[in-house]
Amino acid sequence: MSDAALSAAGVDAKAAGLRFNTRAALTHAVLIVGALIVLLPFYTMVSLSLKAPHEIMQQTGGFLGAQELFRDDFCIKLGNAVADCMVNPIAYNYSTAFEKAPLLRYLLNGVIVTVSIFVIQVIVALPCAYALAKLRFWGREAVFALVLFCLLIPVHAIALPLYIMLAKLGLTNSYAALIIPWTISVFGIFLMRQFFMTVPDDLIDAARMDGMSEYAIIWQVMLPTAIPALMAFGIFSVVAHWNDYFWPRIVITGNRDLFTPPLGLREFKGDADGDNFGPMMATACIIVTPLIVCFLLAQRRFIEGITLSGMK
Amino acid sequence: MPQSRAYIWFVGPALLLMFVILLIPILIAGGLSLTDYSLGNSGASFVGLENYERIFTRSTYEKMFGATFRYVFVVVPLTVGLGLGAALLIHSLGRFGDLYKTIYFLPVMAALIAMAIVWEFAFHPTIGIVNATLERGCGTVLERWGWYAQGCARTFPLWLNDRDYAIWTVSFIGVWQGFGFNMVLYLAGLTSIPPSLYDAAEMDGAKRGWDRFRLVTWPLLGPTTVFVVTISFIRSFQVFDMVEAFYPQGGGPSKSVYVMMFAIYEKGIQQNLMGIGAAITVVFLCFVMILTLIQRWFVERRTHYV
Repeated sequence: MSDAALSAAGVDAKAAGLRFNTRAALTHAVLIVGALIVLLPFYTMVSLSLKAPHEIMQQTGGFLGAQELFRDDFCIKLGNAVADCMVNPIAYNYSTAFEKAPLLRYLLNGVIVTVSIFVIQVIVALPCAYALAKLRFWGREAVFALVLFCLLIPVHAIALPLYIMLAKLGLTNSYAALIIPWTISVFGIFLMRQFFMTVPDDLIDAARMDGMSEYAIIWQVMLPTAIPALMAFGIFSVVAHWNDYFWPRIVITGNRDLFTPPLGLREFKGDADGDNFGPMMATACIIVTPLIVCFLLAQRRFIEGITLSGMK
Repeated sequence: MPQSRAYIWFVGPALLLMFVILLIPILIAGGLSLTDYSLGNSGASFVGLENYERIFTRSTYEKMFGATFRYVFVVVPLTVGLGLGAALLIHSLGRFGDLYKTIYFLPVMAALIAMAIVWEFAFHPTIGIVNATLERGCGTVLERWGWYAQGCARTFPLWLNDRDYAIWTVSFIGVWQGFGFNMVLYLAGLTSIPPSLYDAAEMDGAKRGWDRFRLVTWPLLGPTTVFVVTISFIRSFQVFDMVEAFYPQGGGPSKSVYVMMFAIYEKGIQQNLMGIGAAITVVFLCFVMILTLIQRWFVERRTHYV
């Protein structure tokens, strides 16, 4: 090969490399702009939860705020000396978030409701899925067809008749009202049934030979094999119900002891005057953080779980 | 057979709950939509199709359909398009791609009600970051743009409280929240395309990136697209959280953001007009079911469950 050809090839390779680089750089540029827009409200939320009221109103202090002590007028109104009422913005925002409303109680309610919903969904769906996948009985196809039909129904859309039924039973403003409509997850049945179809029959036959009852087979043989699918479904279910605002808004009216975190935040907004932006954003941070942290720790599983519905 | 009648106990509870929680309420909604029922009243009188007639003739409900369809037809194309775009870009990166994926997925995880409140603050006309940023651009070339110059001369839009902008601003937040979900679905679709197909296409003369996309990527993403479009429709039809948070009464400036779920909530729960609320519910269910049936029809040409 002549020198000229060699150097020409070199130039070519360089040009290709350059083209590749400008292309990658452009891609990054576009994605970074997108990322900034996506992150903007998270930035605002965290920043405002750290700042003092006057910094929020005058848009000063950058991301962290100056963190100077400021005068808590409410504290003075209560008759305390001015010196005792100087507070640090972060401490003020986050402590107000917990003091002004029973935020801990709301968080606890959120945990109670989401966990109960998931546990009941599994208790109902797993045996049904097992029967649909592995048992032969009259009407099986009809039941499965019904499951497929029910997948069409968004529960939020039938909130009104459900609300009337619960009201007639005197169940509004109770944990039961928050949980009952979600006890049946046809999606869960469908998902677990598809999963159980892939479990070999030999496993079940062997268990029957050992004299296990059908109940024991479900909870001791099928359940352990289904852990990965169940985890994904669990994430799907917990995320949906921790963040759900519509249904709690309808069935919980006024009884603060039953508020879930989104309702608690909404109430905060209802009486927010200028001074309350900081504590309100602190509340928002506290409500959003648990799922975000779990998501960052187990991203793959979360993305799997949330996009599970893609299997329909 | 040792399995005996155990199946009754396995299927029974699920079946019972399906009827009580999913099917009977639909019948109740259908029945109530023909009456003027209110909770607390002992009886209700049959009014025939009056409620439906109202929905399709009164201007309030015209606004309701207008707001819902505006929202849906902005949010669906944009979340699907941006989801696909982001997925293609991220997929082409390899390294670092995961970082963007994580960031773009964050809004899907965060409680919408919390983020809506933050956006409301960001769009605040005087202390919000959006208008503050826009004002900084005054006096630069941007002023050549008529809209921008007007904003500088007088004020920038009130966004959420401006009846010309409210529904679009709410739609923007919907897009912000939803496109990461579609991106993840598209990424899953992209990774399942065998690389050998691209080699084959290149040998057949598809040298340009656009040709490869048109001939390989897009057709093979077909099933993903059908699903993504349907689920985006169903999700955006159900928009409620933001609207209730921004406009607890009445559905926004001159009802420009009066979406269907909010109408159901307002009529049924706030005003206790169950008949009309039930009628809106029925119309809503029809929309959702038609959409899903269209999707099923697309899908079942390719796959079978049993």
